[in-house]
Amino acid sequence: MKIMNCPLNGPRNISEFVCGGEVEAMPAPGAADAAWADYVFLENNTAGVVREWWMHAPTSYWFIAERDTRSDEILRTYPASEVFAERQDFAT
Amino acid sequence: MDGQVARPPRRSFIYRELEAAGARFVAVGDAEVAAHYAGDDETQALSSLGIADLSPLPRTGFKGDGAVDWLAAQGIAIGEASNHAVRQADGALAAKLAPGEVLVLDGLGEGEAICARLDAAWTPVASAFWPVPRRDGAFWFLVTGEHAATMFAKVCGVDLRPDKFSNHAVAQTSVARTNAIVVRDDLGAVPAFHLLGDSASARYMWHCLADAAREFGGRPVGLEAVRSLIR
Repeated sequence: MKIMNCPLNGPRNISEFVCGGEVEAMPAPGAADAAWADYVFLENNTAGVVREWWMHAPTSYWFIAERDTRSDEILRTYPASEVFAERQDFAT
Repeated sequence: MDGQVARPPRRSFIYRELEAAGARFVAVGDAEVAAHYAGDDETQALSSLGIADLSPLPRTGFKGDGAVDWLAAQGIAIGEASNHAVRQADGALAAKLAPGEVLVLDGLGEGEAICARLDAAWTPVASAFWPVPRRDGAFWFLVTGEHAATMFAKVCGVDLRPDKFSNHAVAQTSVARTNAIVVRDDLGAVPAFHLLGDSASARYMWHCLADAAREFGGRPVGLEAVRSLIR
């Protein structure tokens, strides 16, 4: 069984995790539809080291993993707060 | 209040299974708990491999920003590290599941009803955190005895052996392919693990554990036998 290291819970079977796709910068609230469509629907599909959202399902804990898509090796996992330090508010 | 119909006691999610296993029930507060089972001496099973259903007993949880600080202000002792539980003065157990989430299990003895006090104290108006009603949403089993860790090895990927998983350690993981919380909480010298999972899977888990425990001679044990070890 492949093992992933959850930043909250420690090493766990990979079957406990769900991949949430690439970590990308969110477009500005007023950005063009094409930019939002790209952000929501399109993947870069990089061959190499990527940064991805992963979730530990038993705790619903979302974090970030760096993974080499060529070898499927997980290089590093860390809390999302390392990247997203500030709260993003939208005008209502 | 006049004319108000008395609420029936809170029963376990697996009441019929317990009944079929020969459980005799006893009232504990507003709940009805399997106190003992017909047949052999349960104390022996407790130290070998016993499974108790504690589902009707009080437990609660709080999650979100400020939950830990609020609980501390309510007099609950909570450790620094996540996935670790702390015994309270009256026997309750507070397990920190994440930096912003705590699970509270009432003591199995006759201590203060901490969970009821916390649930009553929480108010939605000023709170940026919210209650997690574990008493409705999660079953609560207690697996005891020297074979407990070996039995768990059949259904759980985390190593729960006593020298690898210390007392009051918490594992949030997959047990029998469903999400569950395991908290080690020894009864004196007897290893014991609280197991909580989705209440909709209570019957499934009860049968999974019974099946996994069969080769070790495991059997259901009642609350009275469990209490005899913590007195």
